[in-house]
Amino acid sequence: MNLMANIIINVVIAFLVGSLLLGFHRKVMARIQLRPGPPIIQHFLHSLKFFFKETSFPKTAAMPFYVAIACMYCAIWITAVIVGPISYGSLLLIFAIYAVYKIVEHNAGSSSGSPYGKMSCVRAVFSAAAEIPLFAVLVIIFFQTGTMNLGEIVAYQSANGPLIFSIPLAALMFFILLVSKSPYSPFSITKGKDIISGYETEHFGVLRGYMMLSESISWYILLWVFLTVFIGPLSLLGYLIGMVVITALIAIINTITPILNPNHSVMSQVSIAIIGIGGSLLIMLIV
Amino acid sequence: MNGMMISSYLSLIISSILIIFALIFNPAVWIVYGIAIVFIPLFILSLGLITMAKSNKEEQEERKEEPFIGY
Repeated sequence: MNLMANIIINVVIAFLVGSLLLGFHRKVMARIQLRPGPPIIQHFLHSLKFFFKETSFPKTAAMPFYVAIACMYCAIWITAVIVGPISYGSLLLIFAIYAVYKIVEHNAGSSSGSPYGKMSCVRAVFSAAAEIPLFAVLVIIFFQTGTMNLGEIVAYQSANGPLIFSIPLAALMFFILLVSKSPYSPFSITKGKDIISGYETEHFGVLRGYMMLSESISWYILLWVFLTVFIGPLSLLGYLIGMVVITALIAIINTITPILNPNHSVMSQVSIAIIGIGGSLLIMLIV
Repeated sequence: MNGMMISSYLSLIISSILIIFALIFNPAVWIVYGIAIVFIPLFILSLGLITMAKSNKEEQEERKEEPFIGY
């Protein structure tokens, strides 16, 4: 197939599946709270609706950075689609993309000029300090498989079984990273309701729709990476079932857990990272 | 038509041309990746900036004013 067509199809699939999964996430949360909740398609509809909403740019916004940062948000996750499902490239690139994503969170907050955005921008630095050690899970994967290449990791798992059984603590660390990235997460201090919508507060109208589109792609990609790296070669149906199950599980966790304050959030994530890395190395030494 | 709309139309045209170029002529892989990473987001953004509803001239200043005065 033509490469560009392949990329466009994958980006559209990532957006559609990602937004439906985020809609499903809200639905599960609502049902646990005994509310009917919005339809599953709501996140998708919101993303499209915002493209037609009246938009103006606040005087305090640092233009054109304020618009460019939303564009960068989309660009990094399209890069992730290319590195992931299209080329089965290096996990290190996915790590780099996640690191840039934290910078985008930081700069989206600071470029708006809003005090809530600025508070979120400070918190993005905190959360980056906690989430990037979680992503250090890649080191454990490298020690176990001897490669950083997604294709080779999949091949390793076809021969030796899923990595979730051989390095379960590393899988747990990545799972905590997924929880951190999900909406209404106990670790989502950058978008905590005490600071309205955090770095997204002043990005409304078309820019909000644009950011929601990127958010959907990012959710799909993170789930795809988790399933590919820890469960191994999966069919299309396997991926879909895996994504739905993980999203439901995270929705349940998010419903029954309050949003932590920044100190507790960072300390919990750092503690999990230390236990995860130390424990995984110990298991590898023993086994 | 203000500067933003002109640049949006320009971006939309340029990104559409480059995406169609990559679809039809199938250039080298790194060129396709470059076009996809830079011009697909630009295409979506420029389309959004063109389709969004605009405020009236009288209301424009009111919308731009920072609503928070407590800091």
